[in-house]
Amino acid sequence: MIRASNLHKYYDDQPLFKGINLDIKKGEAVVLIGPSGSGKSTFLRCINALEHFQEGEIDVDNIELHSINRLKPGKEDMEAVRKIRLKVGMVFQQFNLFPHMTVLENIIEAPIRVLNTDKNKAVEDAIALLKRVNLEGKINSYPDELSGGEQQRVAIARALAMKPEAMLFDEPTSSLDPEMVGEVLSVIKNLVEEGMTTLIATHEMGFAGEVADRVVVFDKGDIIEVGSPEEIFTNPKKERTKIFLSRILKR
Amino acid sequence: MKKFSTILLFISVLTIILSLFGQAWSSESSLEKIKKRGYLLWGSDAEGGAPYVFPDPKDPSKLIGFEVDLANAIAKELGIEARQSQNAWDSLIPALKRNDFDIAMNGIEITPQRETEVLFSKPYYIYTEQLVIRKNETLIKSISDLKGKKVGTLSGAVAQDILMKIEGVDLKVYSGQVEPYEDLAIGRLDAVLLDLPIAAYYAKPNPKLKFTGHPVGEGFYGIAIKKRDAELKNEIDEILIKLFKTGELKRIYEKWNLWNDTQEKLFEALKGSKAYVSLEESQKAPIYTFFPNLIKGAGITILISVSSMLLAVVVGLILALMKIYGRPPLSTAASAYIEIYRGTPLLIQLYILYYGLPNIGISLSPLAAAFIGLGMNYAAYEAELYRAGINAVPKGQMEAALSLGMTRGLAVKRVIMPQAAKIALPGVTNDFIALFKDSSLVSVIAMVELTKTYSILAATTLRFFELGLITAVLYFAMSYPLSLLARRLEKKLKGSRR
Repeated sequence: MIRASNLHKYYDDQPLFKGINLDIKKGEAVVLIGPSGSGKSTFLRCINALEHFQEGEIDVDNIELHSINRLKPGKEDMEAVRKIRLKVGMVFQQFNLFPHMTVLENIIEAPIRVLNTDKNKAVEDAIALLKRVNLEGKINSYPDELSGGEQQRVAIARALAMKPEAMLFDEPTSSLDPEMVGEVLSVIKNLVEEGMTTLIATHEMGFAGEVADRVVVFDKGDIIEVGSPEEIFTNPKKERTKIFLSRILKR
Repeated sequence: MKKFSTILLFISVLTIILSLFGQAWSSESSLEKIKKRGYLLWGSDAEGGAPYVFPDPKDPSKLIGFEVDLANAIAKELGIEARQSQNAWDSLIPALKRNDFDIAMNGIEITPQRETEVLFSKPYYIYTEQLVIRKNETLIKSISDLKGKKVGTLSGAVAQDILMKIEGVDLKVYSGQVEPYEDLAIGRLDAVLLDLPIAAYYAKPNPKLKFTGHPVGEGFYGIAIKKRDAELKNEIDEILIKLFKTGELKRIYEKWNLWNDTQEKLFEALKGSKAYVSLEESQKAPIYTFFPNLIKGAGITILISVSSMLLAVVVGLILALMKIYGRPPLSTAASAYIEIYRGTPLLIQLYILYYGLPNIGISLSPLAAAFIGLGMNYAAYEAELYRAGINAVPKGQMEAALSLGMTRGLAVKRVIMPQAAKIALPGVTNDFIALFKDSSLVSVIAMVELTKTYSILAATTLRFFELGLITAVLYFAMSYPLSLLARRLEKKLKGSRR
């Protein structure tokens, strides 16, 4: 469903991606692991065009996205970007809830303004989503009245309100206090079990092992290894994977 | 540092005290001191001051004019030289009293209220007021036809008093003598009433204008001298009589095309006692009689401030959005606008708008020029405030909005602007207070708001102090509630992110 082919990206003249290829099937849960700065977040952001890339192609459900001229994007490119963003939801490390809106307003904003959903229907959907993330009691709270874990669950509900076909999670628990990590991961796990196509960049190795169909190891802007959780965690082929895993498991 | 400033304060206080008592301490009279010093310092305004005092068009570093010649002639009789001291015309008398120069000579009409402030020499010129209209004007034949017409004159001039006594005249008061005739020529005014020498110099050569009616309001120009300098006054009086008898005075006036039969009467005036135009001593009126004028001025100040602030907010928002989200031609244009408006004085912008644009065929009313001038200027500052506000919204907000499928425009409108507005709001309130005070600058374009009302009233009554205090109180009464509001907003916004 999501395919990246021969993806190249430079920062100024510094190369980050030198031809990345990855293919994600519908309903698949893929976890991206690797050291900080290895490119897993950037890769996720390239998929829904929050980052530019210079060469290669992203394909989401047969919508093709090529390198975009930043200063003068073509109409078709912009159209492709919008279509992809409507198909793919994203959850950020910093939650990025809109602080001037209540929980409910955060969730119904995009359905009403972007999908032209009727307001009553949008509210109804939002309440159902909040039940799913166990936050129906916080419907009229403002983001700064919620804990980090609660904010992230609202952010997930907000992304799901757009009825996406795939979800991107960019280190969804990295800025949470440890006791709140579980509540967020269990919501994601439920999604995966319901068959949502999911890409997750994370440092939670236990969680990766639990939900992933495949684990992708990033290092220095390259995908160095792809395999099932058992293969990667118990019998990695690459030396750099072993070093990374031993470092992260020691913590 | 603190010690240093204390010393500085002490020295300046000491200097002020010394200069206050300096006169009392010295036994020398001013006349002796001037002679010893070797030059006579005379105050006048060279800005638009032809044919009185003005920069020589051939050599602008040199001042010429009939009063320059007269000052030189007087100084020569004293055996010294004359030096001009530049001072705005409508504050010549206060400056003289403040000891900025020895005498003031600049077409100052001898009036009873001025005589309560300073001594006047014998008159050196008999002026009349001349009505000037456009060439194609047929309805105005004398000052009795001015009812309902827009008539311009100079702030503090005797012509202003004459016009104020005619009922129904829409009076426009200027601080320079060039501008009224320019406004008359382009149709902003229907007539201008000013001293004949001014009309002769500025209006006569203008093919679009003509004189009409008989000269009115004969009166005298006199040299203003400080009350305590009676000796200097007597000396100057004698010199004036001598200059008249020797024909020197006539020679100077003929050189400047100012001699006419009226001046023959000067001889009697020079010999005789008081013969000045008798004006009512209305200026001793109780202070509350000025309130209606001042409050009307305050109303206009509010009107200008509020309307131009609205313009600034709207244009500023457009500029900020162009600068941040626009691509090169747009964003460059917005940056250029902001830099140019912030990098040039508001006063120059107002002059160009009001006096400059008519040269290329665009003539704005004073209110329109004030509204556009202030609004466009403050728009540049508003734009920078909003830009700072928008930049202070975390980048993740835009990314989250985009990832939800919003367009950039929708994201700016629904997500970025509400947050940026809260960040920028205290700054905007502060700017409004600043604009409110800056609105006094529009008095230079014939807009009679509070400051202009003050300067007109003060120049006619010479009650600069008490009227100044009242005007300041009015400004404060309007701006202080705004400051309080700004502070409350700031406190409130600090508490929550909402």
